Amino acid sequence: MKKYFYICLIILVSSLSHGQNSSCTCFIKGVIRDLHSGQPIAGATILLTGTTNGVFTDEKGKYEIRNLCPGIYQLEARIVGYSTYKQTIDLIISHEENFTLLEQEVHLKDVEITAQRTDAPASQPLTTLSGNDLEQTRGQTLGESLKGISGVTSMQTGSSISKPVIHGLHSNRVLIMNNGVRQEGQQWGSEHAPEIDPFVATRLSVIKGAAGVRYGSDAIGGVILVEPEELPFNKTLSGEVNLVGFTNGRQGVSSSTLQGGIKGLPGFGWRAQGTIKQGGNIRTPNYFLDNTGISEKNFSLGAGYRNKGFGIDLFYSRFDTKIGIFSGSHIGSITDLLNVINNGEPFVKSGFSYTIGRPNQNVTHDLLKAETHYNFQNGNRLQWTIAQQVNHRNEYDLHIPRNDSIAALNHPELTFKLNTLTNDVTWDHKPIAGKIAGQIGVSTLYQYNLMTGRPLIPNFNQFNIGVFWIERYVKNDWEFEAGLRYDYRTLSTHRIVSRQKISNHFDFHNGSGTIGATRNFTGNLSARLNAGTAWRAPNVSELFSDGVHHGAAAFEKGDSTLHPEKAFNSIASIKYASEKLTIEIGGYFNYIKDFIYLKPQPQPILTVRGAFPYFKYTQTDASFKGIDISAAWQFVKNFSATSKLSYLKAYDTRNDNYLVMIPANRWDNQLKYEIPLLANLHNVFFSVGNLWVARQKRVPPKSDFMPPPAAYSLWNIQAGGTIHLSAKQQLEIGVSIQNLFNTVYRDYMNRFRYYSDDIGRNASLRLKWKFGA
Amino acid sequence: MNRKLTWMLLFGIAALFTQCKDSGDEVEADDENELITSVTLTFTEVGTGAVTTFAYKDPDGDGGNAPTKFDTISLKANTSYTLTPAFLDESKTPIDDITAEIKEKAYEHLLVYTPNPTTLLTYAYGDQDTNGYPIGLTGTAKAGAAGTGTLKVQLRHQPNAKNGTITPGSDDVNLDFNLKVK
Repeated sequence: MKKYFYICLIILVSSLSHGQNSSCTCFIKGVIRDLHSGQPIAGATILLTGTTNGVFTDEKGKYEIRNLCPGIYQLEARIVGYSTYKQTIDLIISHEENFTLLEQEVHLKDVEITAQRTDAPASQPLTTLSGNDLEQTRGQTLGESLKGISGVTSMQTGSSISKPVIHGLHSNRVLIMNNGVRQEGQQWGSEHAPEIDPFVATRLSVIKGAAGVRYGSDAIGGVILVEPEELPFNKTLSGEVNLVGFTNGRQGVSSSTLQGGIKGLPGFGWRAQGTIKQGGNIRTPNYFLDNTGISEKNFSLGAGYRNKGFGIDLFYSRFDTKIGIFSGSHIGSITDLLNVINNGEPFVKSGFSYTIGRPNQNVTHDLLKAETHYNFQNGNRLQWTIAQQVNHRNEYDLHIPRNDSIAALNHPELTFKLNTLTNDVTWDHKPIAGKIAGQIGVSTLYQYNLMTGRPLIPNFNQFNIGVFWIERYVKNDWEFEAGLRYDYRTLSTHRIVSRQKISNHFDFHNGSGTIGATRNFTGNLSARLNAGTAWRAPNVSELFSDGVHHGAAAFEKGDSTLHPEKAFNSIASIKYASEKLTIEIGGYFNYIKDFIYLKPQPQPILTVRGAFPYFKYTQTDASFKGIDISAAWQFVKNFSATSKLSYLKAYDTRNDNYLVMIPANRWDNQLKYEIPLLANLHNVFFSVGNLWVARQKRVPPKSDFMPPPAAYSLWNIQAGGTIHLSAKQQLEIGVSIQNLFNTVYRDYMNRFRYYSDDIGRNASLRLKWKFGA
Repeated sequence: MNRKLTWMLLFGIAALFTQCKDSGDEVEADDENELITSVTLTFTEVGTGAVTTFAYKDPDGDGGNAPTKFDTISLKANTSYTLTPAFLDESKTPIDDITAEIKEKAYEHLLVYTPNPTTLLTYAYGDQDTNGYPIGLTGTAKAGAAGTGTLKVQLRHQPNAKNGTITPGSDDVNLDFNLKVK
């Protein structure tokens, strides 16, 4: 659905003096072209930040800004359908003797700009983790990697299972676009982490707020984009080797990439990548957690071809993980749970071990994707992405069957096989009058799920079709955006009740819309406003759950009469960016009508393991209000401070009560000292950081077995640098210590908070060797 | 010929947008290996040999229909009984005899009987596993003075951890029977 598409922006920077005294006669001009089609791009906005100057490219892709004074400028190129590109340009007044020379000979400066194509709504906050920020998260899971972004937290099951939470929403309410394909795993489960190897990506982006129009239903909370680099067409062989070691869990991660073009075959590019991860028992400050090891083996292969306007990409990836689940988290009854809580630490004691026993999860995820596009001569663009995903999840419970002959087979107690076929066709129409650009698309999804084992969710077949239309209009400093989408979904479920096969059929359909505006004020200030709707059909677990959730000590019952939830999301942000200071303040209000949640029932439900609190999937109206603030300030040369604040208040407006499992407010601060060159080391930095997480005070009364954990404060330190081994080889080194003081803490969003403390001190060493182009 | 090719192409593309698999054809019955649907306590009066049984029954397991039977235990004051519990999984065909499986794996199971108030009943284990720890599949229950309360019956599953105490492992059964001693 989404692929990178490079453009080449050639800027001719020149200065001219006509012998007049006025020095403000410099100008910048250039052409914006599409690298692949070679076609000029009309209607792109060129702005000089800090001035009122802004122009558009004409039909030939040309632009020119005149009457500029010498000085340093920030040139910003904004092209509909591409992410914004910024470049600093130094305009110097020419000397007298340059007069006679052709301007190209002296002042011509070819600047190749590659802007990444993006379908992200322009008026919604998009935060990207790439480059050095991404490098520092290497070796961690996807959920952990994203925690540095303000407004993003994670929901955890122990330390090894982490799910991203955007503005308090997670699981089925957050969509993950993995390499342009909607990730389809068993994401309804709170202990089902995304089946993605972050090493595949060179950019991790988060779109906060409802983005249902472009990405389809379910994207109520936001969208996570996992994007690899464009394939190295026509380039020489290059690659990288990453090695990461963590002291906690004695975990080692190794990931390598090899890529290049094919000699003698112009237009081809390929990439091969693989990751191996092995970790053992995690240690909290005071004790090890039994059976918390992890073992992961992933690889991906990609190849592509480009010829003029035509392009095709093939991609295959396999994710294969085995995750141990802390054995002390298995409880049979409420008495068991209350005993562990009263004990203050787990009954199960353990030392260090790499062995992964029961309980554990064994998950593989295969993705096969083909994407092809064609850029027409007249500026239109057509793209088709087809992808097949196969997700196999096996869950092994702590207890093997009592019957020895069955136990010897060592079958998983739960097996899910989910098969998904997605198709996306998008049409980007050529800019109208150089000012309006847009996209029309159709997406289909066909899915079936087979499950065996203890009762949980039924088998199902699901078909979804969605059509959307988005237009963008650029005028002076304004950029407007509006879009509409309609989705239709049919769902058939099959299950066996009292030896009878029972099938149910559901139809869901809904429209959604988005409208937004971006305003670039003079100077360094810009503001964005977006209002959008999204919807989400109830998933099978919400419709059909019927049993004890042993991790949560709750009896959960689904309701097959649930109808879709609808979100109305508004999000506004204002950003000031200068050379030394960047501040971004964003506020959001997300109202979800018919929000599906587990409502506590007054009477407990009796089972053979005793009475369990009884929860029923019910619908209410909920509001999520919050503020994200992030600021970076270089207050002295080489010293910079970063501060990020996330505030969220979620409320059940229908019942006048708070909601459970909402992340607490947090404040993240970091102080960084950078030295551009120290002996042989480039880009050396030292940093110290602190994360403060408040106690979640806004919880419904008597909703939990124990009160939310206390506030905590964690310190961390990092250092790193790069050694240039040769012109084409470099070695990046990074060290870090997380939870520096081995602080004992528990987090409200960690489902194991009942059983054990959170992870203790963790030191890590990262090495990255890059070679080739 | 050309037309045929176009049709084939169109058909081929259409096939790429659909899959044909009905998950309803492969639907399997739930299989919960630890399910216990009935717990029966047999009290045999020492001396007379008079037998009384009290049961908990939830034939379709957790969820679905509510338990069909949850008896109140009625005992004579100051009388000794031999207490033998029985556990079944009646959702399976043939019915799964869990008691036999507990006996087979006695070294990882422990039955615990806790009266409340404690004066209502005293329990003494009458069996041992291979490691010399009690099991609780047979034992003596002596009813105390008349009164009412509860008897908690727990089946503790303690793989590789059984040490004679209740602490390790987790509950496979945890039922509070009402208890009447008169």
